[in-house]
Amino acid sequence: MKRRYLGVLLLLPLTWVLHLQLETSLAVTEQWQLLMTRELSSFADFQFFYSSLPRAVIALLVGAALGLAGSLLQQLLQNPLVSPMTLGASSGAWLGLLVMTLVWPAAAAAYGTWGAFAGALASSLLVGLIAGREGLSGLPVVLAGMAVNLLLGALATALILLNDQYARNLFIWGAGNLAQSDWSQVQALATRLLILPLILLLALRPLALMRLGQTAAQARGLNLLPVFALIFLAALWLTASSVMAVGLIGFIGLLTPNLVRLLGCRRAGEELLFSVLLGAWLLLITDALAIFFSQQLPNLVPSGAATALIGAPALIWLVRKRMQMSSGGHYTLPGRELQLPLYRLLLLLGVLLVCVVISLMLAPSEQGWVFAWPQDLVLSLRWPRLVAALAAGGILAVAGVLLQRLIRNPLASPDIMGLSAGATLALVVSVIFLGGSLRDYGPQVAFIGCLLVMFLLLLLGRRHQYAPGILALMGIALAAVLDAVIQFTLARGGDEVRQLLGWLSGSTYRIQGQDALWMLAGGLVIGLLTWVGRRSLVLITIGDAFALARGLNINLARVSLLLLVALSTALVTALMGPVAFVGLLAPHLASLLGARQLHQQLLVGALAGAAILIFSDWLGRVLLYPQQLPAGLIASVLGGSYFIWLLTRRRLT
Amino acid sequence: MSSAWSWIKVYLLAACLLLPVTVQAQVSVTDSLGTHEFAERPERIVALNWAVTENLVELGVAPVAIADVEGYRTWVVQPQLPQGIADVGLRDEPNIERLASLQPDVIIIGTQQLGLKDKLEQVAPVLYFDNYRADHSNPEAVEGTFRELARLLDREDLAEQKLAERDRRLQELATQLQGHFPEGLPEVAVIRFTDVNHVRVYGRNSLVLAAMQALGLEAALPQPVTTWGQTQKTLTELVAVDDGILLYIQPFAQEDRLAQHPLWQRFPFVQQDRIGSLPPVWTYGGPLSIQYLGEALATTLLERDW
Repeated sequence: MKRRYLGVLLLLPLTWVLHLQLETSLAVTEQWQLLMTRELSSFADFQFFYSSLPRAVIALLVGAALGLAGSLLQQLLQNPLVSPMTLGASSGAWLGLLVMTLVWPAAAAAYGTWGAFAGALASSLLVGLIAGREGLSGLPVVLAGMAVNLLLGALATALILLNDQYARNLFIWGAGNLAQSDWSQVQALATRLLILPLILLLALRPLALMRLGQTAAQARGLNLLPVFALIFLAALWLTASSVMAVGLIGFIGLLTPNLVRLLGCRRAGEELLFSVLLGAWLLLITDALAIFFSQQLPNLVPSGAATALIGAPALIWLVRKRMQMSSGGHYTLPGRELQLPLYRLLLLLGVLLVCVVISLMLAPSEQGWVFAWPQDLVLSLRWPRLVAALAAGGILAVAGVLLQRLIRNPLASPDIMGLSAGATLALVVSVIFLGGSLRDYGPQVAFIGCLLVMFLLLLLGRRHQYAPGILALMGIALAAVLDAVIQFTLARGGDEVRQLLGWLSGSTYRIQGQDALWMLAGGLVIGLLTWVGRRSLVLITIGDAFALARGLNINLARVSLLLLVALSTALVTALMGPVAFVGLLAPHLASLLGARQLHQQLLVGALAGAAILIFSDWLGRVLLYPQQLPAGLIASVLGGSYFIWLLTRRRLT
Repeated sequence: MSSAWSWIKVYLLAACLLLPVTVQAQVSVTDSLGTHEFAERPERIVALNWAVTENLVELGVAPVAIADVEGYRTWVVQPQLPQGIADVGLRDEPNIERLASLQPDVIIIGTQQLGLKDKLEQVAPVLYFDNYRADHSNPEAVEGTFRELARLLDREDLAEQKLAERDRRLQELATQLQGHFPEGLPEVAVIRFTDVNHVRVYGRNSLVLAAMQALGLEAALPQPVTTWGQTQKTLTELVAVDDGILLYIQPFAQEDRLAQHPLWQRFPFVQQDRIGSLPPVWTYGGPLSIQYLGEALATTLLERDW
């Protein structure tokens, strides 16, 4: 225990001094003198005092705040996987702030923290509602957080896309930016963090009691709810304050408490205190690296991107070292309907048909709304989008059904597992480092990306029997790396990145007739292969032991079916970009309609997925005419909202 | 018989009259992908990037539609966009259906829209100009594009006249500057702010540097050749401007916030009042943007003693 304290108390000041040396031309003795006398004369003096020094201080403060927030949340929920990032609080805060900056710029500077706080509160409450009380201490909360992150990310992208030139400048900030040019941010943040010691003191006893378990804590006279709420709000406040000050910095809040436990901290208070110190140190060293690489490379390296690039592998390493997650658990379908009456199937077909018709025939024009069969030229522009949306919706729905049953988790989907991110990452990296445009790199590159992720998932998951937890965390890590790479590119500020941005929201805009037909053909092949593998899937869904008893080669079946999922995701992502939520939502809709058997769920899910994407595509085209929104983005917002409404209603009733 | 013959004469006459017209109207243009033949001179033109828009307006031809009219009026400003031009949405994802309904004769695009070329070709012939690259001279490339567009529109004389006028004007401003700074021209750094802590510095291969060279100004913060001629820097790196003058291009929304920063007030160029702002002017435009940049630079520099 002594070594621990000695180590951090030595490392922290050392790193801090090192951080200070990176951007100044002053010698250490001169710096010391400056600090003592405060007599600034040369520009270098001012630069040190108003840029280097506040940056080093803000790194300390934000790191400490995030470390503490993470530790509070993890101890509160008794779940090593929660953090401001995984709970959706960070992205909620970011969106709240973004909305305020765009809608009401004058107030953003003064009341931004409250906007961020409201956003963080709303998003984490949503995550809590989706995950449910029991889900809070396990994996469901992480999956729900991931889903909400995707939704909020889509909304933020929409805002940025529509605000074109102006909003580009927000990117550096979104990527987590610690650069300072005076003490105002530090002062503001320090004021907001004044409650920090108070929280430490107040939270100590309740958290110590929480370790005994909820019942035991209650037995010792702890009134759980108010304490719970208070600590939770405090953690959100810390998150919102740091987002307001420097933008999005992920991973610190997730990694720090885990590392602290790895270092041997066992008691509640010790864990909190150490998280503060270690969080500060982690951000300091990461930011030092970001500064160093910004100086070496021709382009800026945002600190947030650096955190993600370091944090993601660290998370995976940590998970492999520490997590024990059983592959047990069984797949329960949502919804109470047990039968699929014919009229429901017909109704769904009718809805799909209506979507197809309006997508082809109803559109605004200079003279107002027109409902008519389009001219040949317009038809040739519309049908590829329609076919692509239809095929993509169907394929993603099938992939979702497969994945949810394979890992027996109703919250699984290709986007949440990081498969879409893998495909996207492969394409984006190709464009950035090899040049050219996205169109030059087809499904092959996307498939390689998906396969790499699959390979990683299988490699890492083997030891844990492909436990959903590992897979979900991989997804989070990969999505974060993707974000980092994209933000690094965006910070470069060229025009080519905006093309990426449109594509990143999942758009049918660039689809050509041939692509659409390829996608349709691919969808049919995938459907066929799924049909071939249906028996194995049914057996796996029931349980490994059962499947084994029936003579199934479980590993072979699982790997083949996972490959099929990878193929599906790659096909859609390569042509449309990452499309979130459809893979998650469609299987749910199917089972809510009563399609509980595998073949029913596949068919109804595919129809529902197709209808959702076709409708989203149409809505994106007409909503802000003549501007357009990507289908994937609308699908995220529609799907995400519906999903959330559905789940919250189920919780509340 | 005679009536039939007279009809034939009329047809022949008409054919004789039309023949030279059609021959004359045939026009060939070379874009970044090769040579394109147009049977008739295109009249309804859609420009999907702002540099092309600028060139068309300079040549006295109003495009039927452009992408992001409001954006053009905020960021490019000069030359002024005529009224009544249709908006087809954002530059990255223009609304192709709306574009089709305008029945253009030709659609002109830049790198940003290259991925859309096949789709746009369903609507009308597409010309693609790849103006900004790291491996060529951007100022020369934009001039080539301008001349090609002039050829397409049969305004070659006007184009040459405009370019000559530009060179004459820049020469004139250079002389004025020399008179204004008898002890030698100052070094100048031109930037755009992205936020209060980050800037883009315009360097080699940018139109800004071309304008500066025409005026005889040296770069106070030299930057390497890049695709767009710009490099992203943090605010503190601006200290290298040293004895030079720092000019930033409008619009910059956070001017007030910047002015209050203690560090900003300490930059040598702020303390010694060697800082100014340029009115909105497009740094990624056509050859006449070089003139507007030169005019903006010279006007600001001639305004007072530095």
